[in-house]
Amino acid sequence: MKVKDIINNVFGYTPKNTYHFSLPDDSDNPESTTIQNSKDDQKNSPNIFENIDTNLDYIKTKYNLLINSDIVTRNFILNARGKQYKALLLYIDGMIDSQALNDFVLEPLMMRNKNNLFDSEQNRVISEAVTNNITVRKVKKFNLDEYIQNCLIPQNNVKKETSFKDIFSGVNSGNCALFVDTLPVCFNIDIKGFKQRSISQPENEVVIKGSHEAFVENIRTNTSLLRRLTNNENLIIENVKVGKITQTNCTVCYMQDITNSDLIAEVKYRLNNLEVDSLLSAGELEQLLTDNNILGVPKILVSERPDNAVKNLLQGRVIVLVNGSPYALIMPAVLIDFLSSPEDTNLKTIFANFLKRIRALAAFFTLLLPGLYVAITSFHREIIPTELLYTILGSRQSVPFPTIFEIIIMEISFEIIREAGLRVPSPIGPTLGIVGALVLGQAAVSAGIVSPILIIIVAITGISSFAIPDFTFSFHLRFFRFAFILSGFIAGFIGIGIGIFVYLSTLCDIESFGIPYTTPYAPAINSKNNGFLLPPIWRREYRANYLASKREKKQDKISMKWKF
Amino acid sequence: MSTSKLGTFEAILLVLSILAPFTVISLSRTMINETKSSVLINIIYITIICLVIAFLIYKLFKKFPGLDILDISQYVGGNVFKNIIGFIFIFYFIITSSIFLRSFCEGLKVVYFPYTDIVYVILLFIIAIAVTNTLGFNSTIRTTSIIFPFLIVSIILLFVGNLNNFSFYRIFPIQGDGFENTFLLGLTNIGCFAGITYLYFLPPLLKEPKKFKYVSILSVLLSGLFIIMCVATLLFMFSIYISTDEIMPLFSVSRYIEFGSFFQRFESLFLLIWTISFCCYLSISCKFSTQILKKIFNLKDSSQLIYILLILTFAIALLPKNYSIINYFETNIYRYLSLALIFLGIFVLVLSNLKKKAGG
Repeated sequence: MKVKDIINNVFGYTPKNTYHFSLPDDSDNPESTTIQNSKDDQKNSPNIFENIDTNLDYIKTKYNLLINSDIVTRNFILNARGKQYKALLLYIDGMIDSQALNDFVLEPLMMRNKNNLFDSEQNRVISEAVTNNITVRKVKKFNLDEYIQNCLIPQNNVKKETSFKDIFSGVNSGNCALFVDTLPVCFNIDIKGFKQRSISQPENEVVIKGSHEAFVENIRTNTSLLRRLTNNENLIIENVKVGKITQTNCTVCYMQDITNSDLIAEVKYRLNNLEVDSLLSAGELEQLLTDNNILGVPKILVSERPDNAVKNLLQGRVIVLVNGSPYALIMPAVLIDFLSSPEDTNLKTIFANFLKRIRALAAFFTLLLPGLYVAITSFHREIIPTELLYTILGSRQSVPFPTIFEIIIMEISFEIIREAGLRVPSPIGPTLGIVGALVLGQAAVSAGIVSPILIIIVAITGISSFAIPDFTFSFHLRFFRFAFILSGFIAGFIGIGIGIFVYLSTLCDIESFGIPYTTPYAPAINSKNNGFLLPPIWRREYRANYLASKREKKQDKISMKWKF
Repeated sequence: MSTSKLGTFEAILLVLSILAPFTVISLSRTMINETKSSVLINIIYITIICLVIAFLIYKLFKKFPGLDILDISQYVGGNVFKNIIGFIFIFYFIITSSIFLRSFCEGLKVVYFPYTDIVYVILLFIIAIAVTNTLGFNSTIRTTSIIFPFLIVSIILLFVGNLNNFSFYRIFPIQGDGFENTFLLGLTNIGCFAGITYLYFLPPLLKEPKKFKYVSILSVLLSGLFIIMCVATLLFMFSIYISTDEIMPLFSVSRYIEFGSFFQRFESLFLLIWTISFCCYLSISCKFSTQILKKIFNLKDSSQLIYILLILTFAIALLPKNYSIINYFETNIYRYLSLALIFLGIFVLVLSNLKKKAGG
């Protein structure tokens, strides 16, 4: 027996014998009982049968037609060259355009017209030549599936599929499937027509001087936005399906002539090696594509702005879009990206840099201000100027609790108010925030539970956290401020110093798709004007060299030629 | 983009970060104590000698590109010699970091934690180093490159902020206790340039090995400037007899900085920066020791070694009974130990060059 086992046996937790519900489980062979673990399920999808009734039975089984109310099968008689065939349409109600289905699928297939009155056995004459009174005709044998595809379905996007897997995938995404008796193929007809949100303004990344378009849930709309803004044939948009059950459409977008090939390969490798049942959002994919880090810092930039996504594409980054999610995942991303806003490049350099410095200060306050307050009031009172010290001491006279207790109460209250503000219906949200912050804060001071100076500290910290452009990064800072409060309480500035050292070391150890997270400052490299602060627009000649882009320069040395 | 090797800038900062915390905490005092008012001349003199040593090391390493002192000692005397050299360096790294940890913690105890047992103060650092040493080799060095500019700023601020309090006449008598003390006995101050001992392990770690010359010379030069700045601040500020009595003399200097009537006492901010840079030093020292052990025993994974080394560091830090023993080590043993290590390295390099020459 190992020492670890002995320790586990002695000190380990032994659960009490209580009732709990569990699903049947065959632990020796889990794949036999759990459908989601069965990898063969997808592979064993059969091909289309020639007999339409067999196809219908299979569809009924797979789609649970007796239970599912929105799956529609429409049986009808198809007229083709004077002969009639049993046919079947499969689609999902609400996902197709009914008008298009009636006018451009059912009508041409069901109605008889003069072009469709040939005898089915008659062969088609392709060419005819008369030589010495002998007529030579080149004929093509009648082929029903070709005839249906080429003559009977006036649709721009029709694919012939042979396997049920591809057909179901199409139907699930809003297409319609046409099965014809005697044919071992099925027609995947694109007549999508589901209701979707139209392109609207961004909600989380509002800018004044930039575009007011945001991504929507539909992946094709999003790719069209990228395509429109990029306006270049080198933009590659590759499709990848993720999720064994949901088969969610994802696209990997990159500039073929700019983005580093290894980076593209790495993103595709990670995306193609996800063994999950479902993928429902960009947030899930973000977690699946990056390895965990103890700090929980984001390694992928998430943006709802197509212009921001394109800006990053042109820098040499890779974008991943997920169907059903109005966000683009931009990778790789380093620390300075999370303190930058899409507005920065639209502003004059001097103002953009001013805002960037403010944001850096806000990040510093969010992470360290409460901890520094605890450290100063507990260990380093000498640092406070005498007059201010008297004020602080005076305001704390009626407070019975130690500073650490005060600050933890207030910080947790603030987090509760913030969370509540997010969860309640939107008209009440802001009211709740104001009521919570003002009334509760004032009441807490009046009741002598906390000191007024502490309310100021908590308020500055809270407001500072809102100044961080990236939500996840802001979350990370908010979370780790508690660690600094604790370290400040334990050993004052020494504790905070040790905390900063551990924090920085951990941050410096993180990599995003092979790029050190603290680049270009640690390791210090010549980023060619791609650091935290922006150079004037005429000096932005180079792409960030840590991205190892194929094209180093993005503008000429003299970009404003009108001046010279 | 290579992430496992050190850039030139990082390598220079690595060497500097070895000596900087010592200088800030106690080395300045020791140097003044030794050479009195001629300390500045002595430092300039020592810096020139160290520059020659650094150049010599570069020259001796030139025939062994990409190899460190362990590989070279293996070339000279086989595995046994390599192991002996390796253990000597580990002993040096562990002993110095332990004793300086204790010294720094004693200072902190006196200033901020008079009622706390020294064990807990030391433990704080040990835990931090244990956490960071489980991370990649470069993480601490990158941290150093972020922190070091702040350390430089703190020292410059210390100098500039106290300009009003300086008495420049304290440089006199310029020869201090005489020529012999300044130039002959003062030679032991070469040991203050402890960063040189880390130069022996740098060649394989450099991203651009050709810049080893640049790294070694510049790091020694900057170390000299750093020491001059710290020592000058202390020398101009206090009488040499007072400054040598202080536990953390530069910390005392920081108490005198005033910017207007509002900002009066922010010495603790200096301590914050020094604490971080001290952690960087400890972490680097531990990482180098681990790397040496890894190389000696041909290990693939060194994660288990870190805890053993840290327990050892912790135990050694607790060994001295009181501050005077630590002070004795700092004043008398440390410099000689560093000096011995510097010359041991040169000796091994000379032997290897001779062997190479003899071998054709």
